[in-house]
Amino acid sequence: FLGAGGGNDIQWCFSQVKGAVDDDVAEADIISTVEFNHSGELLATGDKGGRVVIFQQEQENKTQSHSRGEYNVYSTFQSHEPEFDYLKSLEIEEKINKIRWLPQKNAAQFLLSTNDKTIKLWKISERDKRPEGYNLKEEDGRYRDPTTVTTLRVPVFRPMDLMVEASPRRIFANAHTYHINSISINSDYETYLSADDLRINLWHLEITDRSFNIVDIKPANMEELTEVITAAEFHPNSCSTFVYSSSKGTIRLCDMRASALCDRHSKLFEEPEDPSNRSFFSEIISSISDVKFSHSGRYMMTRDYLSVKIWDLNMENRPVETYQVHEYLRSKLCSLYENDCIFDKFECCWNGSDRQVQFLSLIVMTGSYNNFFRMFDRNTKRDITLEASRENNKPRTVLKPRKVCASGKRKKDEISVDSLDFNKKILHTAWHPKENIIAVATTNNLYIFQDKMN
Amino acid sequence: MLGKGGKRKFDEHEDGLEGKVVSPTDGPSKVSYTLQRQTIFNISLMKLYNHRPLTEPSLQKTVLINNMLRRIQEELKQEGSLRPMFVAASQPADPLSDTFREAPPAFSHLGSAPLLPADLVSTMPLESCLTPASLLEDDTFCTSPAVQHDGPTKPPPPALQAVKDSFSSALDEIEELCPAPTSAEAVAAEPAAGGDPKAQPGESDIHKPPEGLPESRTAEAKLMDPLPGNFEITASTGFLTDLTLDDILFADIDTSMYDFDPCTSATGAASKMAPVSADELLKTLAPYSSQPVTPNQPFKMDLTELDHIMEVLVGS
Repeated sequence: FLGAGGGNDIQWCFSQVKGAVDDDVAEADIISTVEFNHSGELLATGDKGGRVVIFQQEQENKTQSHSRGEYNVYSTFQSHEPEFDYLKSLEIEEKINKIRWLPQKNAAQFLLSTNDKTIKLWKISERDKRPEGYNLKEEDGRYRDPTTVTTLRVPVFRPMDLMVEASPRRIFANAHTYHINSISINSDYETYLSADDLRINLWHLEITDRSFNIVDIKPANMEELTEVITAAEFHPNSCSTFVYSSSKGTIRLCDMRASALCDRHSKLFEEPEDPSNRSFFSEIISSISDVKFSHSGRYMMTRDYLSVKIWDLNMENRPVETYQVHEYLRSKLCSLYENDCIFDKFECCWNGSDRQVQFLSLIVMTGSYNNFFRMFDRNTKRDITLEASRENNKPRTVLKPRKVCASGKRKKDEISVDSLDFNKKILHTAWHPKENIIAVATTNNLYIFQDKMN
Repeated sequence: MLGKGGKRKFDEHEDGLEGKVVSPTDGPSKVSYTLQRQTIFNISLMKLYNHRPLTEPSLQKTVLINNMLRRIQEELKQEGSLRPMFVAASQPADPLSDTFREAPPAFSHLGSAPLLPADLVSTMPLESCLTPASLLEDDTFCTSPAVQHDGPTKPPPPALQAVKDSFSSALDEIEELCPAPTSAEAVAAEPAAGGDPKAQPGESDIHKPPEGLPESRTAEAKLMDPLPGNFEITASTGFLTDLTLDDILFADIDTSMYDFDPCTSATGAASKMAPVSADELLKTLAPYSSQPVTPNQPFKMDLTELDHIMEVLVGS
């Protein structure tokens, strides 16, 4: 498995696992999103209970050169609470659908987190000093009787135990009738978009009482609705360009300079259906669950139920590369439809850009079932299947590649399709922006794997 | 005359229903194609109706399932043979029952091949995959437990507004399936329906359910059943409204299939339906119906039930 720098394979080793050990999964603990910040020092997860947990990487220990810093809990806060929509008599879930970090501008960190309806801007700041020596207050905060004050002194800052505080700085609410599936920060770092099933809105980070609708695919007659928006993302370099994907497997690229309402796309990316693979489920499995631009912005990657496709933005009629994630499931689609697994929304991500890679997007990572996740190397066309599991995971031991046996005789160490556990799905993965460190979320655990350093 | 459908091998039974793509024009493969289509149709219906009422259902999922239903319905419309009694100005015939009638009983020898692959996450017997209604009661089947435990964990009977929504949307759903006969035609045509369904027991031989409902019965029930009192469909699926309310309520109900007395069954001893007890069928219907159902005549459309439904709809 060739690393991007050429010559050296990436050998993935188990590093850490976070989360409860029991098999009995508390629903609130189900991880719903994972995201590194721009430096990779912080790793945020959101869960179904509306909480955000941020891990911080330890400073590299010079004596322990064989491993990079470990991630430890830095901050935990309740981002969203469940709400009740009285008009529809329905609960609004507090589940965090997406987290996106802002680039760091000062000492504090900022991130956007969203549930189905409301986006919040959180400020995470450290406090390691506090003022002491007030004239009118005791150390515990009680006010002193002014008549007892005989001298004056200047309060000074004294060190204290590090405290990490998260506070909501902006709340962007009441702009989405349908469920928000994506948020994406623009390269201007002033605006961002939020997309729900039928609409995409543009916000300014400073302004919460107003957003601009830039895409609206809601038909006049809801009975004619056959397609919804599934994901959206801003171009990494062009601040007027964004893409959105649909449940019919199309991706539309829009330019906000063309018109205020970008209902007419500038480009439409769609691959014609392969007639030999046609089935009742063709449309459902073509539904795109995630779209990610490459670092350069020249390519984009889409994830549908069975595959990952790489598109060249200059070519609309078909992807330049297609990688099969778990083609052996094609013959099981009816069962997967019945048990709803066919609607699982897998995400995908690119490798980071380390010293060797330098902003090249060469490796694709995505999840599958049975706690397997897959990586595809665009250069060598080789792929690997790995497993996130507490068994067989000793630090600095290279992960063993896994193989699923689709049919016929099962070789030793292979797993047959029928033994796969469809309750153990890896939907969310993230790659450190600068190093070969990956975060893989199983249902309620977060695994961190590292490249084995020599 | 096997056409392009591949020969089924016993150990590749999981390909039986969904392995290779089956073209609808092939000989015996057409049977499995139609049955596959019917199964998927039923599953799709059930998905729309069976939803945890606490949170809004995923619009994407609803749209995809609806598209599936529409596509199947389109296909059936195109395949066309109209049921004689369902003659209406703008609506096609009830496609599903006709499809079943087309399937010749001669293919019962294919019965050894189950129609659905071994379920991947469940220990349920294969044959029960053909009876989606009963799956609702099986805790082991579905990966998302919330969907299953509808009984005890369901909230108290929905508010009137929710009932109205669920009724009207569920009706819309039913309307989507049934053509639009006039009430007079429906009544007059009922005796004529008697002959055809006899072919259906033969069809059910193909999948030999040891328990639970035969495929055809499930389809009929879905089309013709009165709306259960506690449908949980939500308002977002209410955008299929091809037919009027009257068409549903007065649609012809083919009840000849529902007489499980072995003596009156057309194929007599050959019918695999004979051993199915009415209790099993009741059990299957239980999640859908709040009305007490008499064991002897479980599926006869009761006019009082209709009245009750009308009252609820009109009153709310």
